[in-house]
Amino acid sequence: MATPIIDASHIVKDYGRVRALHGVSLEVGAGEFVALVGPSGCGKTTLLKILAGFEDITEGRLEIEGKDMRGVPAASRPTRMVFQKLALFPHKTVAQNIGFPLKLQKFDRAEIDRRVVAMLELMHLNPDYLDRFPAQLSGGEQQRVALARALVSHPGVLLLDEPMSALDAKLKKSLQAELKKLHRELGTSFVLVTHDLEEAMMLADKICVMRAGRMVQIGTPTDIYYRPANMFVAGFIGETNFLPVDVSGTLEGGLTVGSPLVAGQPVVMESGNVSEFLGEGNKALLIRPESIGFLAGEPGPGQWMLTGVVEEYFIKGSSTQYRVRVAGLDAPVVMDLPGSFELPAQVGEEVRIGFEPMRAFLLSE
Amino acid sequence: MKSQSKTWNDPVLVAAVAPLAIVMLVFFLVPLAMTALLTFQTTQYYRLQWTWDLTIWTEIFSKPHYWTIMLRTVGMALICVVISILIAFPTAYALTTRLKTYSAQIQILIIFAFLTDAVLKTFGWILVLDRQGVANWLLSYLGLGPEAMDILFTPTGTMIGMVYNLAVYPMFTIYLSLARIDRDLVLASYDAGASRIRTFFEVTLPLSRPGLYSGAVLVFVLSLGAFLEPKVLGGGTSPLASELIRQSFETRVNWPLGAALTIVLIVIGALTLALAAAFVFRRTPAARRELA
Repeated sequence: MATPIIDASHIVKDYGRVRALHGVSLEVGAGEFVALVGPSGCGKTTLLKILAGFEDITEGRLEIEGKDMRGVPAASRPTRMVFQKLALFPHKTVAQNIGFPLKLQKFDRAEIDRRVVAMLELMHLNPDYLDRFPAQLSGGEQQRVALARALVSHPGVLLLDEPMSALDAKLKKSLQAELKKLHRELGTSFVLVTHDLEEAMMLADKICVMRAGRMVQIGTPTDIYYRPANMFVAGFIGETNFLPVDVSGTLEGGLTVGSPLVAGQPVVMESGNVSEFLGEGNKALLIRPESIGFLAGEPGPGQWMLTGVVEEYFIKGSSTQYRVRVAGLDAPVVMDLPGSFELPAQVGEEVRIGFEPMRAFLLSE
Repeated sequence: MKSQSKTWNDPVLVAAVAPLAIVMLVFFLVPLAMTALLTFQTTQYYRLQWTWDLTIWTEIFSKPHYWTIMLRTVGMALICVVISILIAFPTAYALTTRLKTYSAQIQILIIFAFLTDAVLKTFGWILVLDRQGVANWLLSYLGLGPEAMDILFTPTGTMIGMVYNLAVYPMFTIYLSLARIDRDLVLASYDAGASRIRTFFEVTLPLSRPGLYSGAVLVFVLSLGAFLEPKVLGGGTSPLASELIRQSFETRVNWPLGAALTIVLIVIGALTLALAAAFVFRRTPAARRELA
């Protein structure tokens, strides 16, 4: 890989006696779309502020475009930020907001006007908005103005701090699509902070899952979804099922997995279906809701069966979700079935459900 | 306009506003009207003659002495506004930035000083500004300035007292404006490539305007009526409008003259404010005023 545009290594950040980041490393390649994901307080926003230059580093080293960023103020960095609450200047018009970075770079008026209008077009904003004030625009329009202001001076890296968290679901979806398109068209590196792993998977080339000031896993969206490092990462997206299992053997010699809760023979897991971060503690099989189904009869070869009672179902249109209460499991088993006109089971009905453990993914806590 | 008629039709709202409206009517508008009426009367042997003529007004317009004092009053008020703002803004700015941690304690100290009786404080300044006072002692001790400066009983003394008593108003209005500015706006300005100084002029200062203007108006209006400072610290050497009006009522027992001078002062003050407002609004785009 070519030299990364952002190279952060072993970043430690203390706020007084509280350590917010415990030696976090991050690489962002040129033109890459990276998402920092984690629950609130995991340090993702702190890391973004460090990249922007709003916070200094306690320990570690940060290079952007090959230059050490120690002591370099935010104003002199090749990064631009889109703030969570947008931070549009309320006393400046849309045109003045977007043109502000160019004005600071002492471009002449005609050039600024030309670029601002071009930005407005790129963001699909009405050209009549130029002389309006931010408060006169809708939330989605303000969002686009904030993006335009950040992108107008062609930054090396665009930093996005949960910019879509305040928008309603429909607007969010359309802006997400636009953001992805924008990234493809511009080729600028994007770093997005979000607590929504689904959003990160939709948009990013690379996802960094953070927890309590540490990187838990860095990988592509498919890595994160299909090969999560542990139950924390796996549980972070949508709804999943964890089946506690007993494991014997070694990875080299073959890991044998069995469970007293199921009807079915123990199986040997293939290395492709075992987390590379498999540790010592409790282990579980990760079974996605879409890979479980109802069984009419006995389980087939290589299949495991659970019996339980239907607790609730939700008709979602293209799919129907069932929740089945199984004795011995804390949470109900969640299963997504293809939508159908007739419901396969009613609430309170005793059902058999089955899945193939070989297709599941073995991980630890 | 529609909403306005709605407001007036709402008995609850009308009832809520009524007490204040009545108080303003009885204790502000009626006395003001009486003052205006008084200017068309005359006095004879210290007695008010109920007539209807323009004697007082012709006297006022024919004697430049009154106008000198009126213009001096407005001039002093404007200077006081400028100095007060120049002192108040940096203080308020420091309280929202560098001194933020101690902001509450410092504000309590300022409020204590503010709540101390103005008469007491103003007389206290005599001890400071006197030829043998603290200020002269300090200056000569530091080897600055001439042997002894005459500050007390000069317009400078008046101005020091006025600024001391009034600068606290803009300090609080500006503080409130500055404290309301979202920190992210400042960061956004840095992020866009602006230096600290540039950010101050592009973001912080424009957004603190409401506090700046209201503070300036407060100081101006209170300065016009400054009474204590010109008397105690100015020593009556260059009297201001308030002293002139007091003399008319008390010493000369010429109520119509005092009333007319009062009206003149109010009109001059209102005109100055109107001019300032016109200047401010001309520079503020219509769209933003609508949102303010």
